[in-house]
Amino acid sequence: MPASYLELRSVDMQYGEAARTTHALQGIDLDIHEHEFVTIVGPSGCGKSTLLYLVGGFLRPSSGSLRLRGQPITGPGPDRGIVFQRYSLFPWLTVRGNVGYGLGEQRMSRAERNRIVDAYVQLVHLRGFENRYPRELSGGMQQRVALAQALACRPEILLMDEPFGALDAQMRRILQDEVRRIWRQDAKTVLFVTHDVEEAVALGTRIVVMAAHPGRIKEVFERGFEVADGEEFETNPAFAALKLRIWRSVKAEFEAPAA
Amino acid sequence: MKVFPVVKIVPLLLLAAAWQTASVSRLLPASVLPSFWDVAASLGAMMRSGELITHTLASFARAGGGFFLAVGIGIALGLLMARIRIVERALEPILLLIYPVPKPAMIPLFMVWLGIGNASKVAVIVLACLLPIVNTTFNGVRSVDQTLIWSAQARGTSSRRLLWRVVLPAALPQIATGVRTAIAIAIIVMVSSEFIASESGLGYLIFSYGGVGADDAMLAVVIYLATLGFLVDRCYLAGLQHLIAWHAFAH
Repeated sequence: MPASYLELRSVDMQYGEAARTTHALQGIDLDIHEHEFVTIVGPSGCGKSTLLYLVGGFLRPSSGSLRLRGQPITGPGPDRGIVFQRYSLFPWLTVRGNVGYGLGEQRMSRAERNRIVDAYVQLVHLRGFENRYPRELSGGMQQRVALAQALACRPEILLMDEPFGALDAQMRRILQDEVRRIWRQDAKTVLFVTHDVEEAVALGTRIVVMAAHPGRIKEVFERGFEVADGEEFETNPAFAALKLRIWRSVKAEFEAPAA
Repeated sequence: MKVFPVVKIVPLLLLAAAWQTASVSRLLPASVLPSFWDVAASLGAMMRSGELITHTLASFARAGGGFFLAVGIGIALGLLMARIRIVERALEPILLLIYPVPKPAMIPLFMVWLGIGNASKVAVIVLACLLPIVNTTFNGVRSVDQTLIWSAQARGTSSRRLLWRVVLPAALPQIATGVRTAIAIAIIVMVSSEFIASESGLGYLIFSYGGVGADDAMLAVVIYLATLGFLVDRCYLAGLQHLIAWHAFAH
């Protein structure tokens, strides 16, 4: 069997000392293929964000290994773009400055940078807002900027940490469609953390359910059917059935006595 | 921040009118307080003679020198304390000890060390201005959001460049409030230091006119100083509004 694209082996993550140790993650094994869209869903405290930060290289595991294309992950890098729920944008930079930030760090010429920034600003429908500061934008627009900022560095993998968690339901649905469209166009690999089961099914071609105390992978679901852009998946019986199965899996975690 | 509206001058004009009325009606004898008109006349005379300008330049050279030194040293110290644990451990008790000391009380000691000239005065101004700047820089740097730093790292910013690209800009609004406090402190300590062994400066003018009983001239300098302090603060806020237009408190 060929080595997988992104490979997590026996990843453990502990916080604190001896008797008061918290197992944020225990024995995580996960293989992610190139161009896959994987969503991770689970109750709070299951370590799903920690898992994402490990892939991002912001944290180091207590034990186990993480490899991308066979190379160990040793720190953050522009090959892995991240969008956080909040505070990914630099408040002192305009939309243009934020989207072009990573390109500036790569010492790209101003003309070339502007050309790429324009393309990504267009992609996330923010034409005309280039000179606004983040605090002048709505939450949904800020997350569009954050997405464009991450994409402009042309990462191989897009890491998304509950990016739409703070948005209202309508805006969330619209941005979900945009992320799916961008994923199809750019053929990125996406790792998307959410606490929303419907979002997990609407986006992920594979859905990983996690459990808490200790944080671990409980079950993995293959979606097995396509969700088209803008599809009203409420009317799709396969969608409803899968959503229900995953919801039951997640719900059991809330009913289970803490281990 | 709004432009200072003219309507806010009205209470000051009323106060001046009440003062003048009290003086003219002998309710407030000149031995207690010279009339507003006499004070205003002294102010005019001192401005025309150039006396005020000369002493203003002497004062602001001291205050400005001490203030700008304190900004540089204060930001550097606050930054080092926030980033290096051993520096924080070493400096924190010393700063806590200096904090409640009235800084003008240090002037005689500084004069023993640095002489009675400008050096000791500037040194006291530096010391007094340092604390709010160190404090706000430390807090500003410590409260930079972790995700902002991670975000920059994920877009290719090296740890060496993080300071300039993320940490300082993010801490700037807080540092700016400390700098504003330091401006006020610089003016206060400047005047106090000029009370002692000085032959120039606005503090020297106040002290020497007060000493010879020229209360109208003394008060004229005090009012002039208050106006100047106010204008410096407004200029600072206007500059700040331009520099950190992105931040909510600038509006």
